[in-house]
Amino acid sequence: MNPEVPVLWAAAIATLGVYTILYRENPISRLFEHVFVGLAAGYLILVTWTQNLEAKWWAPMVHQGRWQWIFAPVIGLLFYFIYSRRMLWMARLVMGLVFGTAAGYTFRQFFPINAPQITASFKPLRPDLPVHGRQALDAWGYVILHHWVFAIILFTVLSYFFFSVPHEGRFGRALGRSSMAGRWFLMIAFGAMFGNTVMARLSLFIGRVQFLLFAWLGHYIPWLASRG
Amino acid sequence: MAQAPATGSWDHLQKMPRYAIYLLLAGVVLWQLLAPIRFPIVPSSTTRDVYKAIRAVPENKLIIISVDWDASTQAETGPQTAAVIRACFESGKRFALMNWSTPMGAKLANDIAQPIAEQYHATYGVDWCNWGFKFGGANVLMAMVKNIPETMGNDFRGKPVTSLPMMKGVRDIKDIGLVVEVTGLAGVTEAWIGLVQGPYQTPLTAAYTAVMAPGYYAYTDSGQLKGMLVGVKGAAEMEVLERKPGLGSAIMSAQSWGHILILTLIILGNAGYLLARGRARRERA
Repeated sequence: MNPEVPVLWAAAIATLGVYTILYRENPISRLFEHVFVGLAAGYLILVTWTQNLEAKWWAPMVHQGRWQWIFAPVIGLLFYFIYSRRMLWMARLVMGLVFGTAAGYTFRQFFPINAPQITASFKPLRPDLPVHGRQALDAWGYVILHHWVFAIILFTVLSYFFFSVPHEGRFGRALGRSSMAGRWFLMIAFGAMFGNTVMARLSLFIGRVQFLLFAWLGHYIPWLASRG
Repeated sequence: MAQAPATGSWDHLQKMPRYAIYLLLAGVVLWQLLAPIRFPIVPSSTTRDVYKAIRAVPENKLIIISVDWDASTQAETGPQTAAVIRACFESGKRFALMNWSTPMGAKLANDIAQPIAEQYHATYGVDWCNWGFKFGGANVLMAMVKNIPETMGNDFRGKPVTSLPMMKGVRDIKDIGLVVEVTGLAGVTEAWIGLVQGPYQTPLTAAYTAVMAPGYYAYTDSGQLKGMLVGVKGAAEMEVLERKPGLGSAIMSAQSWGHILILTLIILGNAGYLLARGRARRERA
């Protein structure tokens, strides 16, 4: 038998099993969910050993005499003192190490991520170079379409999150109108995001239908395979 | 949507059974996969930028394709990975696959890369390689910027990466000409920007699932991302640029017609709501 056949059948049964959720919550879809989670966890352990620990921890420790690596798992195992009230402080030592590292990373990443975002929001509201005639029309069209729209949306959305002034009086009412415009722009952005979400979910469904149609059924019906 | 009072046949438009919607969608997808009516695919500027960035990598530098995705997003990230790999082979650029946040990514991407490499007569270890999954999250990036061979250790096949001919002379992040991040996970790009692109000015592009892409347009505007592929559409656009229709293009017609069906249902549902409300008002008057 072709070794691919059991794999195809397993994948097809799993796909159809998971899709039974469309009818209603049922044990078959639950079963395949658990199988998936179990396989993913098992695979993680396998690749952690074969592609990481074996080469970078076990081999140096056992074959290259770097015996000090024995202390690495000892430090890791301190996490399990979380189950002991008396020895909890030892678990806190390694937790502190992890939290400290994570905080350090976050701090280190903050400026490279955010500073260019702030500088990129300062856009010229008029063309850079003096231009005339048709070129001027194009240049101004570009600036208005890109930079003015950007600046207006940025300003109105920021004003939506400015809560320090009540929307009363002349300034307050103007702020209220700007804030309302910002709210509309946010809603449009959320709409675009939701549209993309629909696109993503549909892609996943199409991917599975492609597999069922062209790989699984196509294995037995050559006409289908030729369409794929 | 808020329910208007039940007033006759318009109300049915709002109460379409969900099984009917599922069947309609499945029918449209099957129809389009078997007998596609294609719409033209026009590459967007962000996709063109990814394509240009790959072609602009100097001959002496490697491209890293960071495949931080797994089976749950394979329908989108799979065609994206294939399109990026094809673009590398097309332009004769050497690349390394790696992943550091989803263990399955290296294996799934390897299954994609292998047949494409055979099509281009590319040799493993010379034209491309797979560094495999590296455990440790952002620590992997922090370590690899200073010493790539030591951080990677063994490749996906269990051989030391230093034994691969293409790794000769590759020491640190300065030997990398471009990073292409293919992912369905939030936070991964931020780590690349914060730890690699920002401090070392390594060019970075990305391929995202459609769900998460809108949040990352700001990074293309600021130049932190040199380009971006959005969902299967991005993969299909890359295939157009490569003049090699593949999985992305095949999905796009089903995708487009699925969208038309969903939009039609939304319009019908809202029309039913408004008409039912109008009739109820008239009856009250």
